[in-house]
Amino acid sequence: MLINRIFNGNDAVYGLTVGAIDDAIAKNGADKAVGFPNTAYCLPCYYAVTGVKVKTLGDLKEAVGVVKTLMTREHALDDALMSGVATALCAEFIEALKYVDGAVPYEEPCYGHLADAVIRELGVPLVTGDIPGVAVVLGSAPTAKEGVDLIKSYQAQGILVTLVGGIIDQCEELGYKTGANVRVIPLGKDVTSVIHVVSVAIRAALIFGNVTPGDAGALLAYTAERVPAFVNAFAPIDDVILAAGAGAIKLGFPVISNETEGIAEVPGALIPAKVEDFNKTSLEARNIKIKITNIDIPVAFASAFEGEIIRRG
Amino acid sequence: MSEFKLTTVEEFEAATARLLETGAKVGADSWQLRVKNQTPHCKFGEEGVCCRICSMGPCRITKKAPRGICGCDVHGIVGRNFLRFTAGGSATHSDHGREICHTLYETREGGNYTVKDPAKLKRIAQEWGIETEGKDIYDLAHEVAETGLLEYGKPFGTQKFIKRAPEHTQEIWKREEIEPRAIDREVSQALHMTHMGCSSKPEALVRQALRCGLSDGWGGSMMGTEFSDVLFGTPKEMETEANLGVMEEENVNIVVHGHDPSLSEMICEYAEDPEMIALAKSVGAKGITISGVCCTSNEVAMRRGIPMAGNFLQQENVVLTGACEAIVVDVQCIFPALGPLSKCFHTKFITTSPVAQMPESDFIRFSSESAGENAKLIVKTAIENFKNRNPELVHIPDMKQKAFVGYSFEEIIHKLDGVTNSFVDKTGTTMPLVDCVKSGVLRGAVAMVGCNNPKIRPDAAHIELMKKLIANDVILIVSGCSAQAAAKAGLMDKRAKELCGAGLKRVCELADIPPVLHMGSCVDISRMMILASEIAKDSGWNISQVPVVGCAPEWMSEKAVSIGNYVVSTGIDTYLGVEPYATGSSEVDALLKGGLRDWVEAAYTVESDIDKLGDLMIERIEEKRAALGI
Repeated sequence: MLINRIFNGNDAVYGLTVGAIDDAIAKNGADKAVGFPNTAYCLPCYYAVTGVKVKTLGDLKEAVGVVKTLMTREHALDDALMSGVATALCAEFIEALKYVDGAVPYEEPCYGHLADAVIRELGVPLVTGDIPGVAVVLGSAPTAKEGVDLIKSYQAQGILVTLVGGIIDQCEELGYKTGANVRVIPLGKDVTSVIHVVSVAIRAALIFGNVTPGDAGALLAYTAERVPAFVNAFAPIDDVILAAGAGAIKLGFPVISNETEGIAEVPGALIPAKVEDFNKTSLEARNIKIKITNIDIPVAFASAFEGEIIRRG
Repeated sequence: MSEFKLTTVEEFEAATARLLETGAKVGADSWQLRVKNQTPHCKFGEEGVCCRICSMGPCRITKKAPRGICGCDVHGIVGRNFLRFTAGGSATHSDHGREICHTLYETREGGNYTVKDPAKLKRIAQEWGIETEGKDIYDLAHEVAETGLLEYGKPFGTQKFIKRAPEHTQEIWKREEIEPRAIDREVSQALHMTHMGCSSKPEALVRQALRCGLSDGWGGSMMGTEFSDVLFGTPKEMETEANLGVMEEENVNIVVHGHDPSLSEMICEYAEDPEMIALAKSVGAKGITISGVCCTSNEVAMRRGIPMAGNFLQQENVVLTGACEAIVVDVQCIFPALGPLSKCFHTKFITTSPVAQMPESDFIRFSSESAGENAKLIVKTAIENFKNRNPELVHIPDMKQKAFVGYSFEEIIHKLDGVTNSFVDKTGTTMPLVDCVKSGVLRGAVAMVGCNNPKIRPDAAHIELMKKLIANDVILIVSGCSAQAAAKAGLMDKRAKELCGAGLKRVCELADIPPVLHMGSCVDISRMMILASEIAKDSGWNISQVPVVGCAPEWMSEKAVSIGNYVVSTGIDTYLGVEPYATGSSEVDALLKGGLRDWVEAAYTVESDIDKLGDLMIERIEEKRAALGI
């Protein structure tokens, strides 16, 4: 049962989050500051949804209690999707804890949390359509080549690609160049790091959409209408990924996956496809229309490569 | 967005009360008064324990007199009454279907009737093994019509359309010996079995009631629907309006009432005729407004977007507006009260069918051969009657709602194709719907049908149940007077998605549909059978496993019982808000409410507490989901 799997995934992440917060408080005390670097929005997702700024571990403890109220267990779509939102918020908390005490939890090539400045920079091309979409690629592709081919196909369309999990290693394995300058941003290897792209969409709503923090309805309407994101999740999909996927669906982002076991298609939202069809299936599902004039040249050509740096040798 | 508001039953009732004031002024009778005169009803009749099938009787069963004069016990009497009730309904739908077959037989190039959906005609012909290659479309139409007509009285074999059912369902029908043979034969046999001194075994009588029902749903009604589509076009999504406010004070108002679209379609044609419009203007009207009541209204709404003035218990209200120049009827569910009522106003009550002749009406005999002249005469009669209107009596309640209608099986598939992903999904299937149900976005579906019945607060059960179900992510397919209740309330406005649970709301947005889908008239319940069959085939579930139930909360007619019997026999649990006359026999009652499940995997549930009826349906849908592991 799809809805039960979402609930299970949400419960698992919630349990982890509560444990992690309690551990952190035991270690650092409830007054310890918590937050992401280089952002004016504290924990952006939680702030946008509730309008509350979390500043200390004690606040975080309170916040996780609020998250619990989203976790209703009726068998209905909204309950499932709200559990997805709860999962996303838990992920944000877990990620925030990684940054406690000025720690630097992510290192090359992973970015982890993205600074407000990056969003401001990406925001304009996103709004003008120069970046026609945002792909969130999650998990490990069946083979590294298939994964890289998929990324390359998006890059050639000018789509911003974010990577989470095994696909990052697969890029490294093939020596594929990543980085914000070429619009392929590896976020992190834990599934919770997917929140850093959600944070981009949400801050876009706050920065460019003038959405009032706490106005969840306006927030979701903005992301659904204005942020052309979609998720490509490689098999296997466990309950936690499914729960996170529900969060994406709530934001209006369809999830396309090659998983065939224990999953049900949801028209327009959760769509099974072969990896080679991910690109076109995703674009149609998110209603992204790109007109491309194919220039027959021996190298890839797209605005994604504008920031590329040519090093000596 | 913010101006969208459902019309409440209280508002319906206030409007009716205002109209009844006019009625009182002119000394009109009304069903409200007649109900009072008839209450309390005879208990023997209500329980089905009264028998009048021979002249030794009438007999009635009491504790002191446990058997009739012939020795028949209460179970036999109730069973026979139930079977006769069904036979009446089946005969009614089937005769309607037969008329449509005859109309199809009358089609010719440039004639009164033409083939408007040749592709559908060809599909049916191929399904029936009739050669289509190189044939003139009208030759084909005649051949198909003739084959269809033979379905009513063929000596051997079973109904052709039952092959449309999933194999599992067909096997059940065969195993239980309820495969419908010739349609008229099942009706005749029902009457034979219920004659004095024939069947008095409840199992045998109920079994024939199922077969007789099946000959309607998968025979007469299905042909009625399919050939109406061939003749008048397969319905597509269409915008229209509903409730009495659709009548226009400055226009000549013609109300079509009854069932057979052969009449109403032709009237609509002539109402658009420039000559007729000019005539209307010459008598001081601005134009001609056609609106409908009951199933004929559903037919023309589905195909032409003709507005729906109201459903069954609103038929007198149409006349009470004082602005109805003519109410034109054919057959079925027409109150004979319209005769005397129309005499209190200038309204012409025009009967057209030899099958339904009523006192105090103007009879303009309508036949498919002379349909054009007949329709023209009817429209002209109405127009000329405009000048007789008494302006002092005119009051049209200012209430109407927008409605999207026209969701034939074909149109539903078309809408579902719109949500498929062209790279991964097949089109032309019900899979998007199945997927939504599997994933839990939709919990299930309810097919809501049936009449109004003064025993239930009119329309309240339909509307309240629909509101409850859509809030619980259950999508509705509706037909008949149930559909019109929904349309009048505003539940067929696409903005009604705001009243839905999150799942159904999403589906409405994605597929661009209202949460309550109008599938047509009462014969069009056959469309629902096709939809259920296709869902079963696409999903791999048996029909009885699909989280779908049927519901007739305010049912009234014999037709409704025939419908109930074929819906249950098709494997769909059916929920009624009014008891059939069967409670007098513990055996028949137990069979209908449980025993049938062993035969056809579905049964009846009766509950007059409407709120509870809704809970029971949701519970059953959840049970089916749990059993499927979804």
